[in-house]
Amino acid sequence: MRTVDERARELTPPSTPALRLRGISKRYGPVVASDDVDLDVEHGEIHGLLGENGAGKSTLMKILLGLVQRDSGTIMRGDTPVDVHNPQAAVALGIGMVHQHFSLIDALTVWENVILGDTGRIDRAAACRQVEEVSRRYGLPIDPAARVDRLSAGERQRVELIKCLRRDPSVLILDEPTSVLTQAESAELFTVLRHVVRAENRAVILISHKLAEITAATDRVTVLRKGRVVFHSATRDTTPPELARWMVGRDVSLRAEGAALGMLPVDGAPPAGTAPAETASPGTPPSEDTPPTEPPAEPPAEPAAAPAPPAVAAAPGVPSGGAATEIVPALRLSGLTVTTDGVTVLSDLSLDVAPGEIVGLYGVEGNGQSTLGDLLSGLLLPASGTVELAGRPVELERPGALHRAGLGIIPEDRHSSGVVLDMSVAENLVMKSVGDVSGRGFVSRRKMHAVARRLAAEFNIVAPSLDAPVRSLSGGNQQRVVLARELSAGPCVLVAAQPTHGLDVGAIEDMYRRLREAASGGVAVLLISTELEEVMALASRIAVISSGRITGVLPTAEATAERLGMLVGGVAA
Amino acid sequence: MSAADDISTILSSGIRLAVPLALAACGEYLAERAGTMNISLEAMMLGAAFGSVATASATGSATAGLVAGVLIGLVIGFVHGNLAHRLEINTFVVGLVLNALMLGLTSYLITISSFDSHQVAQVSVPWLRDIPLIGHPLFVERWPVYLLILVIPLTWWLVERSRWGLELRAVGEQPQAADVTGIRVNLRRRQALLWCGALAGLGGAYLAVGEVGSFNQNMTAGRGYIVIAAVIFGAWRLGRTLLGCALFGLADAMRLALPALGLTLNSQLLVVAPYLLALLAMLVFATGNREPKALGQPFERGST
Repeated sequence: MRTVDERARELTPPSTPALRLRGISKRYGPVVASDDVDLDVEHGEIHGLLGENGAGKSTLMKILLGLVQRDSGTIMRGDTPVDVHNPQAAVALGIGMVHQHFSLIDALTVWENVILGDTGRIDRAAACRQVEEVSRRYGLPIDPAARVDRLSAGERQRVELIKCLRRDPSVLILDEPTSVLTQAESAELFTVLRHVVRAENRAVILISHKLAEITAATDRVTVLRKGRVVFHSATRDTTPPELARWMVGRDVSLRAEGAALGMLPVDGAPPAGTAPAETASPGTPPSEDTPPTEPPAEPPAEPAAAPAPPAVAAAPGVPSGGAATEIVPALRLSGLTVTTDGVTVLSDLSLDVAPGEIVGLYGVEGNGQSTLGDLLSGLLLPASGTVELAGRPVELERPGALHRAGLGIIPEDRHSSGVVLDMSVAENLVMKSVGDVSGRGFVSRRKMHAVARRLAAEFNIVAPSLDAPVRSLSGGNQQRVVLARELSAGPCVLVAAQPTHGLDVGAIEDMYRRLREAASGGVAVLLISTELEEVMALASRIAVISSGRITGVLPTAEATAERLGMLVGGVAA
Repeated sequence: MSAADDISTILSSGIRLAVPLALAACGEYLAERAGTMNISLEAMMLGAAFGSVATASATGSATAGLVAGVLIGLVIGFVHGNLAHRLEINTFVVGLVLNALMLGLTSYLITISSFDSHQVAQVSVPWLRDIPLIGHPLFVERWPVYLLILVIPLTWWLVERSRWGLELRAVGEQPQAADVTGIRVNLRRRQALLWCGALAGLGGAYLAVGEVGSFNQNMTAGRGYIVIAAVIFGAWRLGRTLLGCALFGLADAMRLALPALGLTLNSQLLVVAPYLLALLAMLVFATGNREPKALGQPFERGST
């Protein structure tokens, strides 16, 4: 193997881009993941690739790494068009990637991990020497003999980098490299990247959704949205607000303006029993469905048939942005901190949801949302912080305490924690209230069926029979089972985590309607979602989560693309 | 007979009883480090025991019987590997089915056939066999016993020092990450099962043509399961696993020797004793769990 120095000298005159993509397209069925993407990455630059979930960043990189085959377009290394059929071909072309989710084996030592995937005899001494050499060269201190599971997240990241740099890549791709790092560790990482680029003339692609990172670390930036390149600039010629606007998109501001004008009345809670498909409109929710977002002007809708918790009567209006402080919030999260494996997943998270209000918790996936969902399902305990329901703190360490205190939850993963797939519809519907349908230790099938029949009718659950296993239902109907069960307990708070994930349009519309009904019936709804459209359509306030922190709370009417983008990017707006 | 002679006799038979377990344990240990819970170990040993006796009888050579045992173990390992790590059928189900199949098959075949008795040659090391107490047990044995001197370090070296073993361990711990690194996960697991099959086959064949010279119904009598337990209670360390096997062998030898020594105990209890003792000992020593994280979990590309 040539030494890194020799290689660097060869690369010195950067006449042509290190990597050139032309017209790269990739479709998955009807979904366009990558749409005619052009991208030039020069030697000696850090190129930022910015975009939200599903913007097509990952697809593009998978194509570069040979994990996914493109439908059309050209990849050029220097002046030669190349084909990347498989990961080995990418390595041969000098393209290396540091993965977002670590590709290290915990039970192996650092040097073993670094040489994993090589061929030939193992030479422990030589491997350790190489690790030390690379680690010294780039200032990434690590003990080659340490077992990976004893390392901190920052140290693991170093091992990933060493593993990648040892193969001497001329193009280095980093996918959300700071998602698990502390501030100091991130700063350290970028210093190393600068060094790699300046001294050795490599090309670095930095994938991120964090604006601060992009502006601080990159030379040029390309913004992707819905598989397309929407913006491209030298980093010094642009600003975080501009980038935020491009990242989140124009449609947001339009919607927010509409909401701000108050032209979108609440849909008058149609009676339960209407087939959802009839009221549903295809495509993205039309603007009429957007709820009122100018809270002071809009009295809450009539409390509907949904069970009204006691707190409702006291709510004079939908509170917004701290305007109505005298109301006891139905749900108050304060100072929640969760640490797993040394990584802070939730950091001092505080949020209030008032009765009758829908608050959207929006952010890019993997910023602590699922941890919060688990916490509110009672699956894990916070290191510190409290959860209060209607002013009373909940003893989280007692199983079922949240449920008893009046919190209903639509879990993110409906198959693993929402329903029991192989139990019947009726059994699933009464699962949290078995006591109500049984006497003397026996479940009364008659009572159970009566309850199930009533709920199935009320929530339009379409099932072959109440005794059919939930597995046989469509995703939308499974989700209705969850919703019906949770709402039938008369909760004062409903947490809906990605409630429309994987549902068809009709079912999504139905879910939206139910959530609005619940809110107008006085339930405080916390909507955890990565879909901006969903949050905009339902919530009156939007709280943005980034790296486990709430970076800001905005009334939906004030949620412009720029402000949301800044918050999502981890910059307080 | 002197007490020293008694001890020597028990040691001697303990070693003979432990050898098939130790051979199979080296195989199972490697397979489990690669992430396969190989329940079909019992089938491998039993099938090999039968095959070795049949082959020895047909060829007149006990060594040919040993070779046949290894081959039968390999075939069962190959079948298990392809069912579990190519067609992705649950490895436990595959193992249980293979065990039941092999028990039924050998039990049937032994009733319709008769075999000549053959045994592999005994080795007696001059000078060393005269060491008091341990000389006879250690240095007068059937020659396959001495294969352990080769097999144990080789297994250790393969797992801990070879590149193949490094990849096996990666595959047993985090198959997804191993896949990203470019390792063919299911191929490695199938290969590990072949190693396991060969050694379990050798162990089973030794039991038949090494010690007894003939085959009888359900000859292994759950020894495969004992080995699996030894690997688990040995906390996936080769040394502790082999210690567990040795303990079982010794306890079994005690069971056989006690009546001859004039001690009478409840015979059913005696049969259970070795299993119980091995279990207790392994429980006591089972600290520091190093279970491969992906043990028994199938790998399918793309799933996380």
